[in-house]
Amino acid sequence: MSVLMISILLALAGAIIFSLIGLVSGTDETAIMVPFTLLVILLGAPPEAVFSFFMAAVLAKHLTHAIPTALMGIPGDTTAVPLIDHASALRRLGVPHVALRKMLSGGLIGAFIALPTAVLFGQFLGQFADFFKSSSGLIFTLAAILIAYFSKGKWVSVLMIIPFAFFIKSIDTFSFSVVEKHLSTSFFLGIAIGPMLSDILFSLSPTARKGMIRQSAKEYHLAPETKGWKGFFPNPFRVLTGRQTAYTAATSFVSSLTFAFSPVGMTSLMGEIVGSRNKGVYKKSTSSLASMNGVTESTYIAEAIIPLLAFGIPLSPVALGPASPLFNAPPVFTSDPVNNLHNMMTPWEFFLYGLIGLVIAALIAYPFAMNYARKATVFVMKNISQEAIVGMFIGLACLLAFHEAQLVGVILTLTMAAVGGLMNRVLGVSSGVQFMIFYGSTYMMSKLLGV
Amino acid sequence: METEMVKKEQQATAAQREYIEILGDTVVPVRILSAIVISICLSIGGYFLGKSIFPKIAEAKMVGSYSLLLGIAGSVIGLIICANLFKPSRILTEEETSTEGLEEVLLSMQVDPGAEYDLIKDDPVTKKEMEELGILETFKRSGGRA
Repeated sequence: MSVLMISILLALAGAIIFSLIGLVSGTDETAIMVPFTLLVILLGAPPEAVFSFFMAAVLAKHLTHAIPTALMGIPGDTTAVPLIDHASALRRLGVPHVALRKMLSGGLIGAFIALPTAVLFGQFLGQFADFFKSSSGLIFTLAAILIAYFSKGKWVSVLMIIPFAFFIKSIDTFSFSVVEKHLSTSFFLGIAIGPMLSDILFSLSPTARKGMIRQSAKEYHLAPETKGWKGFFPNPFRVLTGRQTAYTAATSFVSSLTFAFSPVGMTSLMGEIVGSRNKGVYKKSTSSLASMNGVTESTYIAEAIIPLLAFGIPLSPVALGPASPLFNAPPVFTSDPVNNLHNMMTPWEFFLYGLIGLVIAALIAYPFAMNYARKATVFVMKNISQEAIVGMFIGLACLLAFHEAQLVGVILTLTMAAVGGLMNRVLGVSSGVQFMIFYGSTYMMSKLLGV
Repeated sequence: METEMVKKEQQATAAQREYIEILGDTVVPVRILSAIVISICLSIGGYFLGKSIFPKIAEAKMVGSYSLLLGIAGSVIGLIICANLFKPSRILTEEETSTEGLEEVLLSMQVDPGAEYDLIKDDPVTKKEMEELGILETFKRSGGRA
């Protein structure tokens, strides 16, 4: 089969799977994107197809996670958190379907602006690549300090860098003595499923579970359905007003360039800017939602593409989280030395295969979300329990860890998840910081201890 | 009517149970542990099965990938089994938004319904959009009254 065909098929698979996953509210992007992307890579897909898969998955998930955000007032995932206020305002006004349409159209426009912008900007930054590659250990360490300070844990996160790097290096050395190779997939999975596992650990401990207990099941309020257009594929430019399209395009373009900042932060910032330029609840909320969803989309896409194309080392929050397997998934991809999509694809291929992913996701997720939002939500809410979803992700993580290093991999993943997850939940040391420390750990330990 | 009955039924069972919150949704502790065990067994089981049968029928270098696929199939089967064994414990209420409440809603958000309608009225693009969506009338009523 040709690379093009595999790319199209994998993009289709990514779009369908992640359209459904997007419906499950509150899902953590890193915990979900990482295992699936790793699977595609380890199954031996060509790099172009991996990239198409990833792009399709990102767009599809972001489009459908607008559904719980708009219809139920609960964030589809962490990037949807800043949108909640505006979405609830419109929901209370009885027009959640308008909120949903504005978000979907904004997201679609944002994605298609981000791709060419990111490819061009990544190419421009590529001239500094040698510098970045040769001093990657130092850069990871400095970046770890920086993003640690900006994480929820602030100084605690900074304080934890050295002990955490020591911990990672120790279990790495020990597992090396058993299986005679350095593991990384198992580390990633551990960091990714950490928050999920720590919730479960809390619930098992008689002393810690008090904070987790709820007397009643969680209630969800779902808004009624209304359809306001004819046909199957509503034109996004008609859903948005001219002004809203212009705001969405401008904010998406700007946020494609700021690849080192957190997507959630950029979304809040751009939403504030657009909101302050519109008066009246209806206009303010609809305009802000369109451009904010455009921004979540564009930062996501740009933060994956720019560091990948320019440096080949993960230097953005998205590259450290959901997109990390594109940089590092041994034995296929490694970021130290750089041997990943960065060396395997030209800028033109990034654009082409990215476009394939985005177009396919747009053709599937956009009409699906526009037409079947409510039906699909009801189906998932009534039939797929959280127990089944959490079970599947932990099962998948164990499978991948086992594939990498048998029982050692599984134990390492669970150890990493327990320690990382508790540090995340209790101290606020976010997954991004933990990924950064993982990347910098070899450099830090060799400088400090000379090993 | 039917949803109301379902809701009551769910609440009746809910009263006897204790839930824990994992990743933003409530689950029953015994069920989540069973779901994890089922899922791990099926996915690793699928992988082992692949490792034992594929060497006979496939090229040596593909055995790993195929086994991985079988493992994924196992975890998908796990998802289906768990979804059937453990019904969701969420309570889903299908809301009927009443247009009558719009004025109160706006006031509670500290927005003057009259000013809100004026802003919409003075903007032909937004006005036309809301007209097409069939929601202009509601805003007009609440704004006109104030």
